[in-house]
Amino acid sequence: MKRSHLVTLALGASLVAGMASAQQTTLRVFSGGQNQRPDLMRKLFDQFQVANPGIKVDIETGGATSELQRQYLSTVLNAKDSAIDIFLIDIVNPSQYSNAGWIEPLDSYVGGTAALKPYLPVYANANVVNGKVAAMPAFADAMFMYYRKDLLEKYKLAEPKTWDELSAAAQTIQKGEGNPNLQGLSIQGAPIEGAVCTFLLPYWSAGKSFNDANGKLTLDKEAATKGMEMWLKLVDQGVMKKNIAEVTTPATVNEFKAGQVAFAINWGFAWDRFKDDADSQVKGKVGVMPLPAMAGGKSATCVGGWQWAVSSFSKSKADAAKLVQFMASPASSKFLAVEGSLLPTVESVYTDADVIKAVPWFKDAAKVVVAGRARPISARYGEVSDVVRTTTSAILARVKTPADGVAEIEGKLNRVMR
Amino acid sequence: MLSKLRDPSEKALAWLLLAPAFILIGLIVVYPIGKLIYNSFFDLRLSGGGGGALFLGLQNYADVIKDADFWNATKNTLLITLITVPGALVMGLGLALLANLPFRRKWPVRLSLLLPWALPLSFAGLIFAWFFHTEYGVVNDIVRRLGLQTEPTMWLLRPNWAFTAICLTIIWKTSSFMALILLAGLQMIPKSLYEAAEVDGANKWQQFWQITIPMLMPSIIVALIFRTITALQTFDIPYTMTRGGPGNTTETLAMLIHKTTIEYLDVGYGSTLAVGMFLLSIVVTSFYLHRVGRNA
Repeated sequence: MKRSHLVTLALGASLVAGMASAQQTTLRVFSGGQNQRPDLMRKLFDQFQVANPGIKVDIETGGATSELQRQYLSTVLNAKDSAIDIFLIDIVNPSQYSNAGWIEPLDSYVGGTAALKPYLPVYANANVVNGKVAAMPAFADAMFMYYRKDLLEKYKLAEPKTWDELSAAAQTIQKGEGNPNLQGLSIQGAPIEGAVCTFLLPYWSAGKSFNDANGKLTLDKEAATKGMEMWLKLVDQGVMKKNIAEVTTPATVNEFKAGQVAFAINWGFAWDRFKDDADSQVKGKVGVMPLPAMAGGKSATCVGGWQWAVSSFSKSKADAAKLVQFMASPASSKFLAVEGSLLPTVESVYTDADVIKAVPWFKDAAKVVVAGRARPISARYGEVSDVVRTTTSAILARVKTPADGVAEIEGKLNRVMR
Repeated sequence: MLSKLRDPSEKALAWLLLAPAFILIGLIVVYPIGKLIYNSFFDLRLSGGGGGALFLGLQNYADVIKDADFWNATKNTLLITLITVPGALVMGLGLALLANLPFRRKWPVRLSLLLPWALPLSFAGLIFAWFFHTEYGVVNDIVRRLGLQTEPTMWLLRPNWAFTAICLTIIWKTSSFMALILLAGLQMIPKSLYEAAEVDGANKWQQFWQITIPMLMPSIIVALIFRTITALQTFDIPYTMTRGGPGNTTETLAMLIHKTTIEYLDVGYGSTLAVGMFLLSIVVTSFYLHRVGRNA
């Protein structure tokens, strides 16, 4: 071959390669820590890449907890960094991120708020901010009451419907077992996000609301004080540990898994830990039930879960929105349910035959999630969360009385939630 | 201009050579401090609707003065400084004297001195949080084995105990830094002074107070200044051990600033708090340099 031909060939090849790379878009996704299952998300991204050959999806992980992820993303987005196109955010964050101007409204890509109709109402509501679609639901989560089925059967106890019944049942089991290391109930009292739910669960279960539809604080101080007094009573009765203000989410999971707890409140992900972990002492012995209520009240739970959002600073918003739609689709929701026991945000997926076959407990979970309540939706959620979790932990550590703590929460949040 | 550069006068050349340093200091010191002070006059709430910043004048400063959380954090920061700086000095001096003994193998002693210093602060905090854990902690285990008490102490859930635990951790972590500086100072003291003192009949105690301490004073002051400045910025250890709890009884100024800017996204007020901490650092360090430095 002549030298000039070789040069022409090389030039042509580099031109083709250049065109190919020009058409290729790379989307960078932040998929949080292990609880957000980046391994499963990767499999979905691979499916998306096959269907969209021009788009490549890279994944970034980091931050084990919701607070750490919020802190990381706050820093990146505050710097208007375009390095991340899409990210997962906690259910409490769409309002905050949207008001900060960090996430792209998705209306023009998904066809308006009607796109949220197939989703559970709590997720549809959390993702509409100022009348616009702020993000799309990824997967659900909720606080569940896990219990030792074998122990309840052994002592012929029914699933408790009120907190008082739970206390009585737990004491019967503890007395019967005679094991000083067996706790009656484990909740999260450390100043972490879970402590916000610890404050809200008894309060909600008395039939009270924390905020109105506009996000304004509607705290009933008497009911909130009673809720916190109820937790302290459980400590005094020996049902909960004295150092409950030190207990974190993983501590509850590990202690329940080790067979040291009769009842435990924790997120949905814990189910797989109890069922699948090699060191689990409670395999096949765990039941899930709705949370008990205050006398005369109604069972309520705290809803969690994750949403897909597109960064306002992304340079490929249209492609990013396309990926978000794919990830939020019922098909992806079903995939995550079957492969990773991640709770669906689409109601119809809970009754899907394949899903029920793979994760039979979702039948019971659906009732809990559907009746779940969202933590206060606020543009200043960081403040709301900090005030509630810090004070709740201080009350459980008995550094503050329930009445003083609740008054402090009201005083501080009246300025934030108005 | 060009001709001047080709044939620069000595003065111009000096300025030219200094320019990179000036630019660098301007970018990494003057600009951030200036920007911080500038931000402190604005309502820069990132969660507030994405609008422009609102000029507040001195409002943020007036709010800081009335802010009980600010005074609580200032009190905690000063207390931590007052307890841990002398604590680390005494412990560091002990360690330095120990490392200065004529061991045949010096490296194990020096390595054990370096280890706490080389450990990241947050790791030290996490490790000690486990030590002081009510159920799983080694501290309660030792107390129980010694038969001192049967009911475990909730170290990190009682304000005074939590504060004590944090101070002990900081002293453990920082005394090796003190020891390293003091060890370098100790090795500069001529042996002939001790030999002369021996001849004059001075005992070890007299030698320590009359030779070691006076000769070591410059090193002690350097170590104290460094440690005091970092003590005023205490963040990692209380953050990882207690997160400022129970309640906000162990919250420091640096933690309050972090919470305000990162959790609350209130950059304006956070900047004002940071200016407060900056002023506190300047006041304490100038006092130090003026009083302690003069005696050195």
